[in-house]
Amino acid sequence: MQSTIGESKKAFMTGNETVTWAALAAGAEVMFGYPITPQNEVMHYWTRLAPKFGREFLQTEDEISAGFTVCGAVQAGKKAFTATAGPGNVLMQEPFGMAEAMRLPLVAVIQQRGGPSSGTVVYSQQEVTLTTYGGNGEGNRIVYSTATHQEIFDYVIKGFNSAWKYRFPTFILGDGYQAKMREPLTIYEPQERGIEMVTPYPLIGKAGHIGADREVQHLCNIYSLEEELYDVVMQHAAEYERIIPELVEYEQKECDDAEIIIVSHGVVSRAADDAVKLLRDQGIKAGYFRPITLRPFPEQQLRDTIAKSGAKKMLVAESAYGQLFRLIRQEIYGETIPIETLLMPGVGIIDYDIMTKVKSIL
Amino acid sequence: MTVSPAVPKSWYLPSKPHKFCPGCGHGIVLKALGEAIDELDIQDKTIFGCDIGCSLLSWDFFNCDSTQTHHGRTTPVMVGIKRSRPELVTIGYMGDGGGYSIGSQHLLNAAVRNERVTLILVNNTNYGMTGGQMAPTTLPGQKTETTPYGRDPDVTGYPTKGPEFLSALTQDDAYIARATVSNYRQLKRFIKNALCNQIEGNGFSFVEVLSTCPTNWRTNAQQTLHFLEDEMEKYFPVGELKNPLGKGDK
Amino acid sequence: MFRFQSQTNIIIEAYIGEYASGKSEMAINRALELKRQGRKVVLVDLDTVEPFYTLRPLKILLEEKGLEVISMSSEDTFGLGETGAMLTPQARWALWREGDIILDVGYGVMGARTLNLVEGAYESPHLRILAVINALRPMTNSRDRIVEYLRDLGRVDAIIANSHLGEDTDTELVLTANQIVFTAARQLGLTVEYVAVDEKLRGEIPEERFPVPVKYIKRYMPGAMWK
Repeated sequence: MQSTIGESKKAFMTGNETVTWAALAAGAEVMFGYPITPQNEVMHYWTRLAPKFGREFLQTEDEISAGFTVCGAVQAGKKAFTATAGPGNVLMQEPFGMAEAMRLPLVAVIQQRGGPSSGTVVYSQQEVTLTTYGGNGEGNRIVYSTATHQEIFDYVIKGFNSAWKYRFPTFILGDGYQAKMREPLTIYEPQERGIEMVTPYPLIGKAGHIGADREVQHLCNIYSLEEELYDVVMQHAAEYERIIPELVEYEQKECDDAEIIIVSHGVVSRAADDAVKLLRDQGIKAGYFRPITLRPFPEQQLRDTIAKSGAKKMLVAESAYGQLFRLIRQEIYGETIPIETLLMPGVGIIDYDIMTKVKSIL
Repeated sequence: MTVSPAVPKSWYLPSKPHKFCPGCGHGIVLKALGEAIDELDIQDKTIFGCDIGCSLLSWDFFNCDSTQTHHGRTTPVMVGIKRSRPELVTIGYMGDGGGYSIGSQHLLNAAVRNERVTLILVNNTNYGMTGGQMAPTTLPGQKTETTPYGRDPDVTGYPTKGPEFLSALTQDDAYIARATVSNYRQLKRFIKNALCNQIEGNGFSFVEVLSTCPTNWRTNAQQTLHFLEDEMEKYFPVGELKNPLGKGDK
Repeated sequence: MFRFQSQTNIIIEAYIGEYASGKSEMAINRALELKRQGRKVVLVDLDTVEPFYTLRPLKILLEEKGLEVISMSSEDTFGLGETGAMLTPQARWALWREGDIILDVGYGVMGARTLNLVEGAYESPHLRILAVINALRPMTNSRDRIVEYLRDLGRVDAIIANSHLGEDTDTELVLTANQIVFTAARQLGLTVEYVAVDEKLRGEIPEERFPVPVKYIKRYMPGAMWK
């Protein structure tokens, strides 16, 4: 595939634009999309750049169609992706569910906006629950929550590989602020960093005569009997659980002697990081823990962090009314550390907000 | 001689001046609709529903009960209201993206079921509110943010002709027309006919209105009118396709 | 017939360019520079794509500095949903205001055609269209890409070289990246108006390396919540 970035270089970009360049660098061959703020520039840049690199785009009639065309394209062996937000993310849960059921290497970038319903177009972290556990039934998916443009670039590339290596639908969860923010990052060809991109392959429509060169493929996502479905769900769950150690990612700072552990994800963790430094300067022993994969969640790592630190409290900070909070409680069930919250649905959180909260609860 | 009021009685004044861009056609369509509501004296029994997209800026436009829905979902919401309370006059207001793209299955099936709602769809050849992307109605060769090199019909097909396909799906008691903001008297007559058709208990009523989007077209006043009258009206013929009222546009 | 035709020393400048090229920063800095000279200045937000994300968070700050700012305020956007109406009547008729007019034009495939939306802009003898180029943005990071980009933009009267990497900018980058802008400008026969450099680098830049003035600017956009 044609080189897109050439030599590794520093660049100044917005988050949406970063998604596009990363998808190009990752070898994505086609994007299917539908307009919704705040992800529009992913499409704007893709439509400008794709023809220059022999890639394709289709604006579908809605997000349901965008998701299903991605399902079709990846079955046909193309590296395909989409990007959406808010109500579009809701509509895409149907195709995302099909991708879970049929183990399709679909990649989707979600730029969270405010909800419920049309909410705002600006920003939130209110799509955590939907993005991690949105489908009907019990499918498996991989969700990376990014905090910087560098991470958007890195994890979009990684996301394509995770999707094609493990065959679970993979999500890069950003938000409206990350989408529009502009900051420097290093862009690179994955190969230059020793990252080998998984070569896509068709699941259907393979070469050769059926019966002679290859077996016929009958893909399905519905089963006649309870026991058939049971076997499939259990098998997928077992495969997913087996790869959790390879997938799980997190970041942890200053937790060893922390009296309070601040847990956040995505763009809010930038504020948490700053808050921890400032609190430490003021003699308050704060620690920082951030899940990068929201699914699978770094459950054991968080449990170990709590145990090792002996922290008296944990603070969950998020731009939502308790989605990360709920996820954490479910994941670390049984831990007795008291959990306090700073819940600001649809609103940005800065270091000052976190510091004030920490001081009020210690 | 009486001078007609500058502002329809059914407009909600606290929301004025309205928030559409200068040169946008929505204000003209909503004025015609407001006058039609006044003349038919249906303000108290009108339910106005609007979509997502620029059409949503009309959510508090009328002094009529109004509800704002989701992108593309105005049609089924109005169907739900009309089926529950047939005495109400339900008006669904949407753009070309909401009606012909994300809500197309609702539009098509409402027409097939002959739902007794009035739908007004504003065609300005692009997704205005999300920043000027291609719409189903974008003309061949037209530049938008997602067709930066011009719309290529080989890749994305030709513009949707809504009234034409809805005509093929509906029976004789449906009202189907295409109007344009460049002919106000005709526009108002078509909208009024579409409301009368619902009030008289006939069938599905639909008016597409060719409209302007200078902001996303990046056109001055003259260029805007040129695009509407010379480019759009050439591709999208204006007129009544079905009129069961027997008082057609002659 | 237009107000601006009767005034001779009026300044009307439109800043256009790639998304996140620095248009708003240049426009704000220029508006404040003129204000410091004692002039009356109107700053107009013409970002028709995303009014929620441009000057809105900075409107009050800039008004406190004495600028007249035509932009959506947070209150104006209430009830607009999505990204809101993109153009206000005040912006359309901005040239009828008294004072210098600085237009911050949003990005888009239509380029300089956006100025069609401002009544009288293209008829004004005073209008200057300045394209802001950051050669550290991938869309404009080579001579050929800049040339191609500027050719698509429509009318451009001069270029502002604004190559930077935000907080990661250093002298070496300013020198090398802006050379690309100069090469492209030469090929197009356009002049570079000035090189814009973050004031944090004042004193570190060998200004003589550039054939045009270096203008030190303060970056305001990071003060917006979303940066």
